[in-house]
Amino acid sequence: MRGTARPSGLPAFLLLAPSLLVLAIFAVALGALFQFAFLEFIPGSLKTGGLTDKNFRAVLAPQYLRYIWDTVVLSAATTVLALVASYPIAYALARAESRRLRSLLLVLTLAPFFTGAIVRTYAWMLVLGSSFITWPVKLLFEPSGVLVGLVHFSMPTMILILAAAISHVDTTYERAAASLGASPRRIFWRVTLPLTMPGVASGSLVVFAWTFSAFPTPELLGGGKVKMIANVVKDLALDSFNWPGSAAFAAVALVLTLGLLALLGRAIGTRGV
Amino acid sequence: MMARTVVQLERVTKSYGAVRALDAIELAVYEGELLSLLGPSGCGKTTTLNVIAGFVEPDAGRVSIDGSDVTAVPAYRRGLGVVFQSYALFPHMTVGDNVAFGLRERGMSRRDAATRVGEALALVRLPGMADARPQQLSGGMQQRVALARALVIRPRVLLLDEPLAALDKKLREDMRAELRDIQKTVGITTIFVTHDQHEALGLSDRIAVMNAGRIEQLGVPREIYERPATRFVADFIGASSVLTARVLDGQTVELPGGLRLAVDLGRPLEPGRTVELIVRPERVQLGGAGGNAMAATVASVMYLGDHTEVRVTLAGGLRILAAVRGAVALNAGDAITVAIAPDAFLVPGERPAGEGRG
Amino acid sequence: MAGRLVVAALLLFMTLPTVVVIVASFNATAILSFPPQGVSLRWYENALTYPQFRKAAVNSVIVTAASALLALPVGTAAALALVRHRPRAATALNAMLLSPLVIPGVAAGLGFLIVAAGLGLLQSRWILIVAHVVLVLPFVVRSVAVSVANLDPMLERAAASLGASPWRAFRRVTLPLLRPGLFAALLFAVIVSMNEFVVSLFISTRVNEILPVAMFTYVVNYTDPTMAALSTLFIAATFVVVFVADRLLDLSRIFQIGGRH
Ligand SMILES: Nc1ncnc2c1ncn2[C@@H]1O[C@H](COP(=O)(O)OP(=O)(O)OP(=O)(O)O)[C@@H](O)[C@H]1O
Ligand SMILES: [Mg+2]
Repeated sequence: MRGTARPSGLPAFLLLAPSLLVLAIFAVALGALFQFAFLEFIPGSLKTGGLTDKNFRAVLAPQYLRYIWDTVVLSAATTVLALVASYPIAYALARAESRRLRSLLLVLTLAPFFTGAIVRTYAWMLVLGSSFITWPVKLLFEPSGVLVGLVHFSMPTMILILAAAISHVDTTYERAAASLGASPRRIFWRVTLPLTMPGVASGSLVVFAWTFSAFPTPELLGGGKVKMIANVVKDLALDSFNWPGSAAFAAVALVLTLGLLALLGRAIGTRGV
Repeated sequence: MMARTVVQLERVTKSYGAVRALDAIELAVYEGELLSLLGPSGCGKTTTLNVIAGFVEPDAGRVSIDGSDVTAVPAYRRGLGVVFQSYALFPHMTVGDNVAFGLRERGMSRRDAATRVGEALALVRLPGMADARPQQLSGGMQQRVALARALVIRPRVLLLDEPLAALDKKLREDMRAELRDIQKTVGITTIFVTHDQHEALGLSDRIAVMNAGRIEQLGVPREIYERPATRFVADFIGASSVLTARVLDGQTVELPGGLRLAVDLGRPLEPGRTVELIVRPERVQLGGAGGNAMAATVASVMYLGDHTEVRVTLAGGLRILAAVRGAVALNAGDAITVAIAPDAFLVPGERPAGEGRG
Repeated sequence: MAGRLVVAALLLFMTLPTVVVIVASFNATAILSFPPQGVSLRWYENALTYPQFRKAAVNSVIVTAASALLALPVGTAAALALVRHRPRAATALNAMLLSPLVIPGVAAGLGFLIVAAGLGLLQSRWILIVAHVVLVLPFVVRSVAVSVANLDPMLERAAASLGASPWRAFRRVTLPLLRPGLFAALLFAVIVSMNEFVVSLFISTRVNEILPVAMFTYVVNYTDPTMAALSTLFIAATFVVVFVADRLLDLSRIFQIGGRH
């Protein structure tokens, strides 16, 4: 209820105060990150020096720029493959006639979503390693293996977004097209797909943005050979104790991710992701 | 008859942004009466009810109950019973717990509450339904539960917001009669919101016809129907034909087509004035030879079971609606005679002389 | 028909790793092989007795319980405010509350690490609990907000008209009707916190580390199937939870899938 219609209970600001406190703590952490990104690294010490932009110039040095480029390529490839692999499942899920079938598909889709990054990535280490299946080419610790893991990791998210979009397309449109003589294939290309484009767009951007800061998959499936931005952040912070350099990298990843998502918001309005 | 005033609204005003939902409403509701708020969608009926119930705080004006100002008293301390259009039965409670809710809030023991709940359910003819879940009941039964829940706390006033709107036609008519019975039995002061004029006419002691946040007319049903104060009221209550005419002398008017009609309002008309004459469809006689017989053509015929609606076109192109009991052997295009008795005309309101001239 | 085969193949791809892990967990030898050479439960015994896993499991339970129980009331209050009161800045507030979902984990993790180091909290579970509350809050707010939005505001008015004060109406009408949403929120909170890895890696030490971090360390250092056994336990628990959740809550409604035919 709006205006002076008496809303029941506590005033809004009291209800919001605890969550604003939580957000404030988060803001402090991110603030500290940005502060460190501009402080000088003193090798062999966790103490920092004065203000500097050296950390950001290091990010742009060729050996690091390469990781950013690899990250972009892997994210783009992941997005395309995840989209192609997810659409059929999402369609089956959205158009499932029985609740039982829908539940089965949903549980199969969501279960990996809920098993957590480490278990899933470890599982792929077993699959991609050579003890179970003899692969014609080496996959583990190669970009191709990382890509497989990233696609698998992205699919639940992509499927959920696409399935929601497909569910919102009234089947009457498809029936109308059929009554006008369109074949199932034509109906898909001319009616269903165009009407689900907002879902395709938002799914793609979300997957791209999330893959962009993927960590456990490249860390374990890349075996130190294939690295994305997040792996470099971790190496610098936890192995070299170069928090300022790491912070600069993390800040770049954060800004790029938020930039992408802002683009997403612009592209599909504020319907929420 | 000067009954006690139970609810009084004084210059109650409420705006939502640019929308003036209530515009200086004045209203007194008397002890034991059933007063209907009648009007088209968005005219402010629900807002009026919400202001009385305490769900909405007016921007200006005063709400009193039994003479004491309750404008600032929250809903839960007003002791009024409310029946909502959607019933708003608590879905997580049984019927019995729903009805007992208000009693328990008043600190009544479970045992005493159960007795009262039993009585209330018997009153609405749902005895023994206390253990059912609201979702298992039909719309009509849910309606009765909602009524029992509101009545069981013995509220000072009963407020009903379109309580029958969600029911189908037959059930609605049955419930209407039953509601009236229960209200009479309990003798409770009741305010009833509806946009259905039949409902209002059939149920009410008095009707307040609302339009755009104002009360256009307040009166007993016959007065509202037979002496509408404004053209809006005349139009809204019963589908009527409206003829704009110029007064020739005290007893005669002229229609735009040149047609002359004899009019008997029980008082002379002021010559030269332009008046709006309202004719109820049942007062238009087809093929009649009474007063004001006129040649006409049948434009359309709609058979509605107990009566038939016939639209006819007069010589000057004027359209008139007639209602005839039962069926008629007429077809569109037939030439007939229509007659309107001179005393069948209504002129809305007592307008100051000179208004509407030109 | 071809469509069904494609869907089946893709579902196989999605479930393949799970199947392989389960098979591997029963492998008798330390070197994995397929088909497995004999069946054994020794890796389960190993997983359940490995001291660092036990310590991490205790940490996990404490951190998850604490963060879920903190996030639930905080997020519920926020959801009520956002849906019911529609504060002027609702859109911005909503975006802010959901932002932890989209901030890269390594950025958040490093931020918390710097703060924790500054405050001397590096060995403490508290820093993990605080970080988990931040990460879990968006899920709580969203689940509860859906429930609040589905709640008929007339019910609270009905309660008020029957004499219930705002607090009583909340206790007797609003709260019981929000129960499914609160349950879903709790479920999400527990699952997300239980599996959180990236942020936790940055702020974990051997003392306060939670299970996913301990598992990561194990995978990096050892190749025997102990991890497969632990993973299988994790997967089994998750399947049960998701299955029960779907039964109780109809997940397709939460994710707005299907239903329009
Ligand atoms: N909470 C609100 N916010 C904004 N405008 C409102 C609100 N409540 C009512 N209004 C506006 O006030 C006017 C009167 O509304 P009200 O609900 O009282 O009408 P009503 O006569 O009950 O109509 P109906 O027959 O459709 O129920 C309408 O124009 C409506 O749009
Ligand atoms: Mg209304």
